[in-house]
Amino acid sequence: MGILLGGLYAVIALGLSLVFGVVKEINIAHGDLVILGSYFGYVAMSVIGIDPILSLVIGIPLMFGFGFVLQKYILNRAFKISMDATLIIAFGISIILQNVFQLIWSPMSRGLTTSYALSSVTAGPIRVPLAYLLDFIVAIVVMLFLREFMRRTYLGKAIRAAAQDRKTAHLMGINTDQVYAYTFGISMAFAAIAGIFLGLTFPFTPVSGMSFLIIALGVVVLGGMGSILGTFIGGIAFGLAQTLGGYFFGLAAQMLVAYTMVLVVLAVIPRGIFGR
Amino acid sequence: MPEEILLNVNHIDAFHGSFQALWDVSLTVKPGEIVAIIGANSSGKSTLLDTISGLVHPARGSIEFEGQDISTLEAFKIVNLGICQTPEGRGIFPDLTVLENLILGSYNHKARPKRAQNLQEVYQLFPIMEERKNQLAKTLSGGEQQMLAIGRGLMSTPKLMLLDEMSLGLAPILVNELYRILREIRERGITILFVEQNVRRSLTEADRAYIMEAGRVVLSGTAAELREEEGVKKAYFGA
Amino acid sequence: MKTTFPRLRGGLIPAIVVIVVLALFPVMGIPRQWLLYLFLFFIYLAMSNMWNLLAGYSGLISLCPAAFIGLAGYTMTVMTWLGLPYYTGILPGAIVAALFAVLISIPVFRLKGIYFAIGTLVVPEILRYVFLLWRPVGDVIYGRGAGYTVKGVSAVTQAQLYWFAFAIGIASVLLMRYILRSKLGTGLAAIRDNDVTAASSGINVFNLKLGSFVISAFVTGLAGTIFYIYQGYIEPASAFSIRWLITIMLATVIGGEGTEEGPIVGTIIVVFLYFTLARYAEISLIIQGVILVGIMLLAPRGIIGTLRKTRPYRSLLKLATRR
Repeated sequence: MGILLGGLYAVIALGLSLVFGVVKEINIAHGDLVILGSYFGYVAMSVIGIDPILSLVIGIPLMFGFGFVLQKYILNRAFKISMDATLIIAFGISIILQNVFQLIWSPMSRGLTTSYALSSVTAGPIRVPLAYLLDFIVAIVVMLFLREFMRRTYLGKAIRAAAQDRKTAHLMGINTDQVYAYTFGISMAFAAIAGIFLGLTFPFTPVSGMSFLIIALGVVVLGGMGSILGTFIGGIAFGLAQTLGGYFFGLAAQMLVAYTMVLVVLAVIPRGIFGR
Repeated sequence: MPEEILLNVNHIDAFHGSFQALWDVSLTVKPGEIVAIIGANSSGKSTLLDTISGLVHPARGSIEFEGQDISTLEAFKIVNLGICQTPEGRGIFPDLTVLENLILGSYNHKARPKRAQNLQEVYQLFPIMEERKNQLAKTLSGGEQQMLAIGRGLMSTPKLMLLDEMSLGLAPILVNELYRILREIRERGITILFVEQNVRRSLTEADRAYIMEAGRVVLSGTAAELREEEGVKKAYFGA
Repeated sequence: MKTTFPRLRGGLIPAIVVIVVLALFPVMGIPRQWLLYLFLFFIYLAMSNMWNLLAGYSGLISLCPAAFIGLAGYTMTVMTWLGLPYYTGILPGAIVAALFAVLISIPVFRLKGIYFAIGTLVVPEILRYVFLLWRPVGDVIYGRGAGYTVKGVSAVTQAQLYWFAFAIGIASVLLMRYILRSKLGTGLAAIRDNDVTAASSGINVFNLKLGSFVISAFVTGLAGTIFYIYQGYIEPASAFSIRWLITIMLATVIGGEGTEEGPIVGTIIVVFLYFTLARYAEISLIIQGVILVGIMLLAPRGIIGTLRKTRPYRSLLKLATRR
């Protein structure tokens, strides 16, 4: 079951990894942006009455556009000022998001409780919540999609190019600012997906973003910046660690185990297993 | 008059941060020429190329290409207009395959429709690129990487090619081959501006040359003139 | 940085007057609101100065001040539970914070730039969880984690609290001034400029960074203990909360990272904001976030930093320095 959970973590971390690998920024607000996706699903469900997964049809383009604009007008400029500036601005965005959430939806925890989210699937002796299984499947689908996209399309190649050598990309007629904006947009699209599935799997609060961000960071660092496969494996590793930790140390200590692992990973393998 | 000049660099100053790298630099390039910029390491020659390509914007003066002012344009737009640069250090994408590198060369809109055709031409000039087309660029030898860089430049259907230190770190045989290819490229109607440290070689290959020192142009003229020039002989040939 | 010294020469007397006046505030019958405002001002001033030391001068964007504040606060609180008077806990609190800084520097300093920030981000969160699960002293209250009232502080007067804070605030300013002109300061300036070059010039980068980190932890911890003496209770969620970071970061950034006067100006503004918006907690934070983003985009050097580049400021400087 930890493995399936890892799928969710992988999806959450994927957007982060993408931005980190390409634009070389660490988007501290990523966790909160994922929760934004979760709240979007919540609104879709409780106010409009659509199934959250269906709401992705609107959610994905919306988040994509949001991310595109965010990168293009704010983060790109921040990047030109300094690395520190990007960090601080991402932090500022994180704070804004967290408190907007709190303002609108109160600190109460919410969940995307659909009928199927609570049901379980039995395979032999193992009983698994359906949500977890869905998470895993989605993770694989999303990753495959990303891989093909990066390989086949001009934009995908341009993104990979800009990630490797910014200056040369410029010289080849690639508008790196634009490419970065697209990259961030894609990252946000993933965040939207992650948000919905997160909401299906766990209850969330305005400040949940931080917890998932930390885990996502651990996943990205463990798996190696910019590597899709690495992120997946990293996600699984963390999912396993957390569930095992919960098993041995009690539920309350789960997060603690996960966090400590992040710190350990940071200290020991800053480059990641599959890192470039 | 303007039709005869492809590139016109007019009294430009350029900075690297707060450090002034170019002082009142001017040069012209006519269509079909091979022009060399020669100088030692910190003479500003790379900065000059970067300024023409749009990676750096001149603080003063102007740059005109085909009569159009490009001084304030972003690099990717300048590529669209027909200037391409192969930077110092090859400038290829190590984790992409040879073919992917080449395809990316035709990223700009003008070049995309011509992609297949350009690819064929590049394979003709550099058959080894076709051989290695699915290999990762970082597995190529230095010489092959330079060929890839040039090939990639050609994919963008350039009118003017800027080459920064093409022969750096390459064996003389390879360098000969590369220059032969440059001449072929010129035959196909592409103008060439290259930057070199090796004075002797440059003056053999180029039609005209500019010699730079500490960010200024100190000498210019046809290759023949410069070969005879006393100063050049003493300084660079150790006569 | 060096020019500010002669400027103060000329302005030394006014500065001393201001300080003395501030010191006498509690006995001058100043209204409680003002005292509170100044109390918080001095506390945050000390913390901002220390954050500035790290982010503005040592090139370390530390996201873990809450760790030091919380730990120091808890140390002090635990000591009061052990029966000791509150003031004995102040120094140990700071020391614990400093020791903790040394401890985490081992893993965290290996990380460069962005990874360092991530590492420091995780630390307070880990501590929060630890204290959520662990009650160092007192009876076990299931599910309540380490929430304590601070014992023995009911007798502390407002004036005393004020003076504690005042001492720490002023001390932090003087400390910054001193550090920046010491060898540590020049070393840090070199590191901030270029890590690698500094290292090859024989500067022990690690030691200097560690030094700043520990000093910062110590003073921040001190300020933290004083705060908790004032507040009278401590619990994990707020002790290690990210709110500390926001306020401190904002104060430093608004005023100007890497400037001496920056934190002073910034803290004034931030505490002012805090008071005006005290009733609307979330909006206050949203506004703080917006300001943070805005400042970084529009005036990344903060108020003082941007002012420094303008003419009127420079002529003012010349005027004051001419003495």
